This record gives sequence, structure tokens and C-alpha cells, in this order.
Amino acid sequence: MAAYGPWTRRRFLQATGLTGLGLAAGCASEPGGGPGGGAQASVPAPSTAFTEPAGRLSGNLSILLWSHFVPSHDTEWFDEFARQWGEQVGVNVTVDHISVADIPARIAAELQAGQGHDLIQYIATLSQYEQSVLDLADVTQEANNRYGTQLELCRKSSLNPATGKYYAYAPGWVPDPGDYRRSLWEPVGLPGGPSTWQELLEGGAEIKRSQDVQLGIGMSQEIDSNMAGRALLWSFGGAIQDANEQVVINSPQTVAAVEFMQRLYRDTMTPEVFSWNASSNNQGLIAGELSYILNSISAYRSSQQRNPQVADDTLFVPALQGPETAIAAQHVMYNWIVPQLSPNADAAKEFLLHYTANMASAAYYSKLYDFPAWSGLVPQLDGWLADDPFGSTPSDKLAVLQGATDWATNIGHPGPANPAVGEVFGQYIIPNMYARAARGEMTPEQTVARAEAQITPVFDKWRRRGLVGSG
Amino acid sequence: MTQTLRHEQAATSPRMPVRRLADREGFLAWAMLLPAVVYIVLVVAVPFGLAVAFAFSDVTAGDPSYDWVGLRNFGRIFDDPVFWKALGNTFVFTAVSMALIIVLGKVLANILVAEFHGKWVVRFLVLLPWTTPVALSSVAWLWLYDSIYSPIDWVLRNLGLIENHLYFLGRPELATASVIAVHVWRLVPLAAVIMMVGLLGIPTDVQDAARVDGVGFWRRMFEVTIPLTTPLIAVAALFGAIFTFTDMAVVYILTRGGPTNSTQVLSSWAFIVGIEGGDIGQGAAIALFLFPLLLAAAVLILRAVRRIEVF
Repeated sequence: MAAYGPWTRRRFLQATGLTGLGLAAGCASEPGGGPGGGAQASVPAPSTAFTEPAGRLSGNLSILLWSHFVPSHDTEWFDEFARQWGEQVGVNVTVDHISVADIPARIAAELQAGQGHDLIQYIATLSQYEQSVLDLADVTQEANNRYGTQLELCRKSSLNPATGKYYAYAPGWVPDPGDYRRSLWEPVGLPGGPSTWQELLEGGAEIKRSQDVQLGIGMSQEIDSNMAGRALLWSFGGAIQDANEQVVINSPQTVAAVEFMQRLYRDTMTPEVFSWNASSNNQGLIAGELSYILNSISAYRSSQQRNPQVADDTLFVPALQGPETAIAAQHVMYNWIVPQLSPNADAAKEFLLHYTANMASAAYYSKLYDFPAWSGLVPQLDGWLADDPFGSTPSDKLAVLQGATDWATNIGHPGPANPAVGEVFGQYIIPNMYARAARGEMTPEQTVARAEAQITPVFDKWRRRGLVGSG
Repeated sequence: MTQTLRHEQAATSPRMPVRRLADREGFLAWAMLLPAVVYIVLVVAVPFGLAVAFAFSDVTAGDPSYDWVGLRNFGRIFDDPVFWKALGNTFVFTAVSMALIIVLGKVLANILVAEFHGKWVVRFLVLLPWTTPVALSSVAWLWLYDSIYSPIDWVLRNLGLIENHLYFLGRPELATASVIAVHVWRLVPLAAVIMMVGLLGIPTDVQDAARVDGVGFWRRMFEVTIPLTTPLIAVAALFGAIFTFTDMAVVYILTRGGPTNSTQVLSSWAFIVGIEGGDIGQGAAIALFLFPLLLAAAVLILRAVRRIEVF
């Protein structure tokens, strides 16, 4: 009877304790994100390639990199991969993962302090740190000797033509296709998804009207909005700079792109795009609340585990055709830097070559998120994309990414990703340019002029330092 | 003979010099203060000096070499409308938050000093927002304000009070209110505890005498309680103002200054320009504008503390 009596303090604590344990166990047993969790891989993982370093190595190597959007990259591969390499070559390797949003602040702090990690990776260009990092031309040259010519978008995202310095090493990148829900686009006559910006506007508007599902293209101070804004800009013939690194943002083409974004927002989106963050695409797609997003396949991979119905319904399209062209920014550009004061630069460079030699593993364990900077480096990639080993239905839905190098470019297009481009990117000037017009705060002409007023001093500053070409 | 012995003991005892030092109040005062002074110099004065120096330099995140550029950084930030928006927002957020913190803190303090069952549990729960790290609580609020999953939104829709999503962080006015709400939520407990101390310090016979004289609740509140606790209310208000004025975590996590920089504050804009944009010189120049108000607040707090001592 006592067991059914009134609640005592002891019983309350026991019950809450057991509940807590149960919840903890439930969380611990949540399906993992790796190839071994959720969707099982249908092909075996690539074996690790090892090449003896050019010289004898010793000491330590500390690596700082982001927590990958596809967790299996870190948990099932990279950390152990780095440690094993260290054991093979006699270097004590430590790997630290932090949130991608925290990396710029961490790099700035370490460079100012003159100490920290020997090797740092980020997912966008790190050109603004050129004066405090080693020239990695030798690593890039060695990789070119081994694997052929580096992709142009990766070279332009690691080489400053004004100084001739490889401020970073860019062995990989991630495409930024459009992800659309077939069941929503079929009723509006576009079962293959939109192929032009105009179709996106018309189809998206009809879906919003008839099915009450909006588009998700961010106009906020975050990375996805930066990429989306540039894709639209270039497709309309506009650009931040020209090939000679001169500011050309204030053009009729840019104004036309902004006008288009006004219409796109009015007819197809909601105010949530002004509060977009890096996970908004993923959340919206998984929740079935978005008809189209511009994103890598990470949102789709998440939905495979959390909402398989939506995942099966999600397909991909390449960069949308605008009045001028059809190109999109890379979603991620891996930039590895070695700070000048690193005492273990030799080990860092050798590790980069070892990592590059194993880009097939990076692609596999990231579930085809990571792409190599040398087209022949991962010969299996096209086959994997044509028949996804990670449980896609239909299995060839990622095949559209096989030609991603044809429509992807670097963020400084048509020029290089120089330090000024990096600072403009870091201050989110382009997403805000669109957002001001979309919200009705300014006319397209005014907001473009405002963007120009913000961008020009940034370019002038870096030009004075000799880090941006003078045309 | 005895005196000779004492002299000998004094000459030979190794403890005497220590005792003399321990007896010297001037030495002791400096010895006790020194750790605090060193601490303040290292974590306040040095960074402040660096910020001033950086504000007149072209130091960037990638190039720590120092080159004097005079007032160029200030010229650029004065030309930037975002800076003026951030400056205005910083004052608006602080003023509105401070007013709400005082009013709600006073109400909460009155509740917490009342006698009721479970008072200690309630006091513990009330303090939780203050003890939770601000970054952590801001992430929790980010979910509460989420455009899709917001439970606040869900409740309002199910109660029939709204038809569509509110998009708390996607509309400038709602985003502003959301940021202020988080500041108030996390700082009201601190203000309440400070004011509670003041309320508990009022002699009960003063309140009793007022009651015997037939003074009602509101009159006692405004003519007895508040005047007697004014110094502590001032301390609570100033702490609230400083914590709101200097905070960047709430804005940065909730809105990153958006939409279209409409919730940008000085600290978040300094971070975006200085760290994410890499222009440390300009970021430092922006951050320096926090200093005058913080200085004024510090002076006011010290004056209020002196009034408490007198009181």
C-alpha cells in the first residue's frame, strides 16, 4: 500500500532521477549522423592512403577546425584519421572542433596573441589573415604535381594575385544547389523543380498561394544569406568587384537583382528570412515548411534521419538561370591556414598533403558533402552521386551535383576572394542590401548605393595595404 | 634583568619583523589591495588601453603591426548609418530594460519578502535566470522565438489570439521587443534580490507604525518603503543598466543585429566589424563609445553605495 501512498520527498526524487536517467539514455541512443547510423552505407569506406613525409617529423601538431555539419565526418573519421597519421610519423596530434560561428573570433585571438593552433580550418575564405599566415604555395604546388590542376574556384579562394601568396590551402569545397520538394512543385507544373529565377518566382508564388508553403532564401547576417545573395547578383550580371578587383556593385544589373528579390520576397516568402541563421534551412526543410532552399545537401541528410518522408520528396537543381548566366557561390570553401608563428609548420604541411590524399574518405564520411579541389582526386565520387550509397530515394537524386564545377564559383567572382571580399562577406553587406529593399526601407537604387558606400572604403583600405589589386 | 631578557628575545626572535609588518596598517592596506589592483590592471586597464590604442590604428585581425592612422577610424564610423543605429539602440534597449527591471524587480521583491509556503523554492527558481549563463539562456530564447517551432507562437495560435506566425525575430519591432524581454527576464531576479535586501533592512516598527496610523498599501509603498530603499533601487537599476549596455550575447545570438541591423547595438556591431570583418581598429573605435556611459554609471553606483553607508 505504501507504494501507492502520497508522494514523499524521497519518492519524488527517485521518480525525477529515474526520469532523468531515462531521458539521458533516450538521447544517448538517438540515431547517429554517420554512415553507420541512420541510412546504412551500401559501399565500403575508402581505405586510408599513406605517403611517407618528405622529411623526418616530430613534436606536436594542434589542429582547429569546425564541427562538421555531417557529424560522421568528425566522429567516425577525421579525429581518428589525424591521430593515426600522427602515430605513423611520430607527431603528437591534437584535434579541436568548435562551432563554425566561433572560428573567426578564435583565429583573430590566436593571431593577435601569437600563439595557438598550428593548423586552422574554416569554411570560407580567410584572405583577411594573409599577413599573419604562411605562404602555402609549396603545399598547393605539390598537390598540383600529384593530382593535376586545382579547380579555379579553389585557387581563387586561396591565392591573392596582388601579392602572389597562397594565404590558405583549399583542398575541398561544397556545392550549393537548390533543394526543392517535388510534391509541392509538381502541382504547379514544375516536377523537375525551377531551372530559372523566373520559374522560382512564379512557381514559388503559386505554391505559397495554393499550398501555403513558402520559399526559404535568407536575407540575414549569416553565411547562407551571403551565398544566396551572390548567386542572384551574378545571375543578373551584377558583381561586387570585376576581374581587376574594382568595385562595380552599383550597376543596373545589381538594381535589377534587388528588384527581383523584392518581388521574390513579396510573393513567396515570409519575414522569417530576415532572422535566418545557419540552421534555418535545415529546420524548415525537415519541418516540411519550405518549398525550396539554397543549401548544401546537409539539410537533406538531416531530413533523411529525422523526416524520411520529406527527404524522399526532396530533389536538387543546379544554379538557377538568370538574365545573364546561371552560377552560384560555393556553399563551403575549405581554407586551411598555418599561422606564421606556428612552431610545427612542417608537420602541418605534411598533414595537409596526407589529408588531400584521403579526400575520398572526407567525401565518404561527410556523406558526399565534401568535394575535392582536384577533379580526378576522388574517382569514385561520380559513381556515388549517381547511386547514393547513403540511402537516397531515388538513389540518383544527387547526380545533378556531378556537374557542380560548371555552375559554382568563388565568392569574389569574377575576381579573386581577396581580403576586401572577405571583409564585405564578414559584414553581411550583400544580404542587408537585399533586405532593406525587400522590407521597403529603401528603393533598390538607394540600397545599392548604400552597399557601394559600405564596400568602397573596405576595398580602399585593403588596396592601400597592397593586398587588393589596383586594376 | 627582565628588560635585558626582553631585548635579547627581541633581537634574536625571527618572528618580530613579521609582527611589525603585520602591525603596520599602511603596509597591510596595500598588501590586501594589491591582488585586486593587479587584477583590475590586467583585465580592465590593459585591455582598455589596448582598445584606445587600436582605435587610432590600422590593426586588423590578420596584421597585428601597429600603424597610427589618427582619427580615420572615427571618421569612417561616423559616416556609417549602422553605427548611429547601434548607438541609439544601445541607449533605447538600456533605458527600456532598466525601467522594466526596476518595476518588475520591485514587484518580485515584495512577493519574495512575503511569508508563504515554499518561499525558499520560489526564491531559488526566481534566481535561476540570473544564474544561467547568458549565452545558454539566449540559445533557449532563440528556440522560444523560432519562426517555426516557437512554443509562444503555438500557444497564441491555439488560443486563437493570432492567426499566423509572429516571426518574432524577423520583424524589427518584434525583434527589438524580444531582445528587451530577454534582458528583463535575466536581470529582474538580480534587481529583486538587491531590493529584497533593502526591504528586509527596513525596521518592522516603521512599517507597523504606519499601519497603526492607518496608512494604506500604496501610500506606505511610495512614502515609506521606496524612500527608505532608494539607494538599493538605484544600485539595482545601475547594475541592470550596465549589464544591458555592455551585453552583446543576447543580440548576437538572437538576431545578429538583424533584421537589416535594426537591433544592432554597439557591442555587437564592434564585434561584427572588428572580429568577423577583421577590422580591429574600427571595431575598437566603435567599442570605445561604451566607455562614457559606463564611467557615468560607475560614478553613480559608487555615490549610491556611499549613500547606503550613510543610511
